[in-house]
Amino acid sequence: MTHFAKLGLAATLMMGTATAALAEAHAMTLEGGMETNMVLLPKFLGILVFDQANEGAQEAHAELGNPGELLFVGPTPENSVAGQIEIMTTAATQGQGAVMLSNNAGDQIAPSAEAAQAAGVQVVTWDSPIPSGAGESVFVAQVDFGSIGVVMADMAHSILGGSGQMAVLSATPDAANQNAWIAAMEEALAGDAKYADIELVDVVYGDDQAEVSYNRALALVDSHPDLGLIMSPTTVGIQAAAKAMQDEGLCDQVKVSGLGLPSEMVSYTMNGCAPEFALWDFRDLGYLTYYTAYGLATGQLTGDMGETFTAGRMGAYTIEEDPGRPGSKRILMGPFTVYTADNVEAAAQ
Amino acid sequence: MTAPVSAPPPSAGPVLALRHISKSFGMTRALSDMSLSLFPGEVHAVVGENGAGKSTMIKIMTGVHQPSSGTLEVDGVALRLSGTKDARQAGIAAIYQEPMVFPDLDVAENIFISATGLGLVQNRAALRSRARSLIDRIGMTLDVDRIAAGLTLAEQQAVEIARALSQDVRVLIMDEPTASLSDHEATQLRQIARTLSGQGVAVVYISHRLEEIFDVADRVTVIRDGQHISTRPVAEVTPDGMIGEMVGREVGNYFTKAPSHTRPEVMLSVQNLGCADAFEGISLDLHAGEVLCMAGLVGARRTDVALSLFGIQPATSGQVAWLGQPFHATSPAQAIEAGIAYVSEDRRKLGLALPMAIRANITLATLNAILSRLGLIDRAAEQGIAESFRKRLNIRTPDVETSVGMLSGGNQQKVMLAKWLEMRPRLLIFDEPTRGIDVGAKAEVHDLIRTFVKEGGAALVISSDLPEVLALGDRILVMREGRQMGILDHDDATQETVMRLATGATSLKGAA
Amino acid sequence: MLGRLSPQTLRILALLVVLALVLAFFASQVPNYFNARLFNRISSSVAIMALIATAQTLVILTRNIDLSIGSVVGFTAFATGNLVAGSPDIHPLVLVVYAMLVGAGFGLINGVIVAYARVPSIIVTLATMAIFRSALVEYSDAKSITSSQLPQWLVQFPNTSLFEVGGVQFRAAFVTAVIVVLIVHVALNRLRPARRLYAVGSNPEAAEMAGINLRLTVLSAFVMAGALAGLAGFMFLARFGNITVVAGLGFELKSVAAAVVGGVNIFGGSGTVLGALIGAILVDLIDTSLVRWALVSEFWREAVLGALILTAVAVDAILMRRLIRMRIAREKERLASMPQKEAAE
Repeated sequence: MTHFAKLGLAATLMMGTATAALAEAHAMTLEGGMETNMVLLPKFLGILVFDQANEGAQEAHAELGNPGELLFVGPTPENSVAGQIEIMTTAATQGQGAVMLSNNAGDQIAPSAEAAQAAGVQVVTWDSPIPSGAGESVFVAQVDFGSIGVVMADMAHSILGGSGQMAVLSATPDAANQNAWIAAMEEALAGDAKYADIELVDVVYGDDQAEVSYNRALALVDSHPDLGLIMSPTTVGIQAAAKAMQDEGLCDQVKVSGLGLPSEMVSYTMNGCAPEFALWDFRDLGYLTYYTAYGLATGQLTGDMGETFTAGRMGAYTIEEDPGRPGSKRILMGPFTVYTADNVEAAAQ
Repeated sequence: MTAPVSAPPPSAGPVLALRHISKSFGMTRALSDMSLSLFPGEVHAVVGENGAGKSTMIKIMTGVHQPSSGTLEVDGVALRLSGTKDARQAGIAAIYQEPMVFPDLDVAENIFISATGLGLVQNRAALRSRARSLIDRIGMTLDVDRIAAGLTLAEQQAVEIARALSQDVRVLIMDEPTASLSDHEATQLRQIARTLSGQGVAVVYISHRLEEIFDVADRVTVIRDGQHISTRPVAEVTPDGMIGEMVGREVGNYFTKAPSHTRPEVMLSVQNLGCADAFEGISLDLHAGEVLCMAGLVGARRTDVALSLFGIQPATSGQVAWLGQPFHATSPAQAIEAGIAYVSEDRRKLGLALPMAIRANITLATLNAILSRLGLIDRAAEQGIAESFRKRLNIRTPDVETSVGMLSGGNQQKVMLAKWLEMRPRLLIFDEPTRGIDVGAKAEVHDLIRTFVKEGGAALVISSDLPEVLALGDRILVMREGRQMGILDHDDATQETVMRLATGATSLKGAA
Repeated sequence: MLGRLSPQTLRILALLVVLALVLAFFASQVPNYFNARLFNRISSSVAIMALIATAQTLVILTRNIDLSIGSVVGFTAFATGNLVAGSPDIHPLVLVVYAMLVGAGFGLINGVIVAYARVPSIIVTLATMAIFRSALVEYSDAKSITSSQLPQWLVQFPNTSLFEVGGVQFRAAFVTAVIVVLIVHVALNRLRPARRLYAVGSNPEAAEMAGINLRLTVLSAFVMAGALAGLAGFMFLARFGNITVVAGLGFELKSVAAAVVGGVNIFGGSGTVLGALIGAILVDLIDTSLVRWALVSEFWREAVLGALILTAVAVDAILMRRLIRMRIAREKERLASMPQKEAAE
C-alpha cells in the first residue's frame, strides 16, 4: 500500500497542496499523552474501506499515546440512519471527547450532533459530512469534492477516447458525498470544451448492494445500446459493475470506472474491464481525522478557520472554509491516486 | 341417586373404561367421579344438557385432556393418553359436531391426512379409489378430488366420518354427528353406526335428537353437572324419564305449539325473489307478531334466501317491500340500519368473536350507542347492558368478562342472540337457532323468540328440526333445491306434509 | 377442457397470462425490449430469487413467515466464501452441503423459537433478521469476500451455458434453481409428510385433532426453508463474488412478494412453489424492466414497482375467479348429465 505513485491531477488538487506547503511554516505540533475518549462512527460496519479508516485512526491513537479509549462502533447496514443517530446520542451522554462521523443520515443527524456539541463533544466528520454543517465542528475531506468531479471526467475522457456515452451507477439516491461528486463531475463536463463529445445518459442507484448494483449495471447496458462507460463513484458499485460486464462478456464494449479499492479491482483492471479507477487512502483519512479530533478534544486546537497543525507523518494541514458548503469548515486531505494496469497490482498486495 | 347397572354386557370385558375420573379446569370442576364402560359391539348413547361434561369426557377419551384423578383402561389395562395420537393408536377416534376438515386439501387427502402405512410417496390413484369406497360406505355422492373449502357442512361431516372409518377404530365417538345433517343423511349415519357396532366396534353416540337415541342406541347413559346419573338398556328408558334425569327438573311445553301473536299488518313482503345460482321464485308475506319457519332438507338453499334479505348476497331478481317501502339491501349495514337482524348458523365463523369477553361481544354492533361524550366507550353502560342480558337470557357464566370461547354451545347462542337483540331489530332472521344445543336451552330460545314477536317484531326461522318447526311456526314455508314448494298454515302442517314437500314427493298443488 | 384442471393448474395458467400481459406492456413501452439478453438477465437473477421464494413458500404454507431469510442468505454466502477462500481445493459438493447446513442451522433457531416457545413467527424472525445480520457483521470482522479469493469453478459456475436455443442461454445457475424448485414441487405434491404443511396451515386445530405433530411440522418447514436459503447463499456467492455484510439485504420482502404474487395464501394452507417461481419471475421482470422504462424516474421506481405488483395480483385474482366460475359451470353440466342421486342433496 505504500509504493504506488501519487499523481497530482487537477488544478484544485495542486492548490490544496500549495496551501499545505504554505501553512507548514507556522504549523502547531500537537502534544501527545493527553487523555480523551473518542468514537469512530462509520456509515455502517462491514465495509472494507471503513475498516481501513479504523486502522489509520488506531495508528494515530497509538502514536499520540492517548491513555483514553478509541471505540470503533457503527450500526448494522439495515439500520444505518437510526443507528448513527442513536450512537451519536449515546456518545453525548457518555461524555466522549469526540465523535468521528462518516455521515449516512443526511441532516437528520444534526439535532443529535448539536446536542452532543452542547454536551462538550467534538463532532468531526470525515468521508461524508453533515450537508448543512449544523452540529459539525469540522469536516475532514478526503479530497476536494470538486476535484473528484474533474478526476472522474478525466478518466471518462481517457477511456472513451474523447467521445461516447457514459452512465453513472451510484450508491443510494440520498448519499451526500456521491451526490456532490456526481454534481461536480457534471459541472466539470459542462465546463470544458474537451468533454463536449462525452454524453452523460443516465444516473442509476445500486444502494451499495452487490446484487442491486450488478442488475442495475446490466440494465444500463440494455437501455443504452451505445453505452461505452459506466462510472461508479462507490467501491461496491464499481466492483459489481465490473463483474457484471465480465460475466456477460461485455468488457470490449462497455468499460467500468469510478472509485474502487485496488484489492477488489485488480483482476478487472488487468483484464481490461476497468482500465482506470481512482481512490484515496482510507488509512490516511482515518489517521488525519484522529489527529484533528484529538487536537479539538484536548483543547489544543480551537477549530477556528486558518488554524494550522501538524498531523504526524502526513504533515501540516489548515482549517479552511468548505467551498461546497459556505459557512462550514473543512480540512482537505488529498491527494488522489489513479490506478491503472501499471500500479494496481502493487497496491493490491 | 343410585346408578342402575346395565344388563347386556357379554362375557368379554369392556374395550374402554373410565374409572372414577375427575377433571378440573382451575376452579371449575368439569367431571367428578365419572365411571363408564364401553363394550365391543354396542352403541352407547350419552345424553346430558350442554355443560353437563360430555365434551370433557370425550376429550379425556381422545387424549386431548388428561384426567385430574381416576384412570382410563383399554382392554382392562390402565393407560395414559397424552395426545390424540396415543388415542388413535389405542383405536379410539372421534368425530365432532363442527367438522374438522382442511379447507385447502381435497377430499381424498382430507380422509387420509393422518393415515399411516401408505408409504412415503403418495399414490393418487390408490388414494382416490380407497377414498371413494369409504364415501360409498356412507352412502354419499362426493367427488373425492374436490377441495374441501367448497363442501357443505353435511359433506364435510361425511369426510370426517370417512376419515375416522379409514383408521382402524375400536371405539368411535360420534359427538353430535347428525346435528348438521338432513333427516335422510342422519338415518344413513345411524345405519353406519349400527354397521360398525355389528363389526364389533364400540360406538359412543352423542345427540340432542332424542328420537335418534331410541332408534340407534343399545344403552343410554345420562350425565348431569359432570356426574354420572344413570346407565340403562334403551328398552328401560322413556323420553320423559330421560329428559327428567338430564335437566333435573320438568321441561316446559317444548313440543306444544304456543298461541299465535300474528297481527294483520304486513311487515315484509317478498315477491318472486331470486338470486343467480342459488334460488328463485320466493314469495311471502311476513306479518307483525308472526313466526314464519322455513323448512327443507340440506341443500334447499334456505340460508341463501336469508343472506339475500340481509344484504350479504344481494338478490338478482324480484322485489322486496319492508314496512311498505321498496327495499333492496346490498350490504348487512343497510339491513341492520333498516332493523333487520340475522343470527347465523355458524356461530364460530360469522357470529361471535370467541376470544373477546361476553360484554364486548354483546355491544359489538351497537358501540355508537354507548359512547360517552368524549367518544370513549362508556364501560359502566356497557357492563349494565351485558349484565341485563345475562339475567334476561339466563346465560350461565360467572361474569360477563368471561371470553365467549369458554362458554358451552347453548350459552354462546344466547350471547349471539343478545348481541342482535341489543340492536332492537324489527325482523329477526334465525338460522338453525337451536342446532346442537340441549333441550333446556332450546325451550329458552323458543321462549325468547315468542317474546320477541309478541312485542311486535317478526321472526323468520330456518330450522331442520321438524318438531321445532311445528312447535314454533305460525306458518311454514318449505323449500327444495332453491324453489319454494309451498307455505303451510300451522294447523295443516304435520311432519309428513312438510317432509313430502321437502323431498319433492309432492308439491302443494299436487297434494290438494 | 378447463373443467378437468385442478385449481392449482388454473392458478399457474392465470399467472402465465399475467406474465404475458406484463411482457406485452413493456414491449410496447421499451424499444428493442425483446431479445435473448432479456431472458438471460431475468433467468440469472431469478436463479437466486426462486430458491428464496420457494423457501418462503414452505414457511408461509404453515401460516408463518420468515423475515430473517435475507440475513441467512447473507451469512451463508459469507461463511461459504470464507470456507472456500481458506481451502480452495474443497469438493464442490461439500461446499454446497456446508452452505445448506449453515442455513438449516439458522432455520432451526427460528423453528425452535416459533414452534416450541410459541412466539409468533413475525416477531421471532423480525428479531432474528437483525440478530443474524449483526452476527454476520461480527463474524466477518468488517472484511469482505472478493471474487479473486474464490476458485475459478465457483465463479464460472453460474454463467456456464448448459445449452442454447437461438441465443437464449440456459445457464447452470438458472437450470439448477429450476430443478430444485421442481423437486420441491413434486415433493409437496407427492410425498405424504409434505401434506402436513398444507394441513397445518389450512386448519391447525383440525391438524392437531388428526394427530399431526404441529410443532414438528412447523419446525421442519423452518429448517427446510433455512437449508434452501443456504443454497441461495451459495448461489449468491458464486454469482456476485463480492460479499459484504449487506449481502441479501431486502430479500425477505422480495421473497414474500414473489410468493404472494405467485398465489401462495399469506394465511397459509394453499399455494405451490411453481407459482412462487413464476411470482419470482414476475417480480424480477417488472423490477428489471422498470429500469429500462424511461418514463419512470429513479425516485418513483419503487412506488411504480409496488403498484405494478398490486395490479398483477389483482389481475391474477380476477382471472382466477373467472376460471373457477367456468370450471364450476362445467362441473354442473357434468353432474346434470349424470344419473341423479336424489338423496344426496
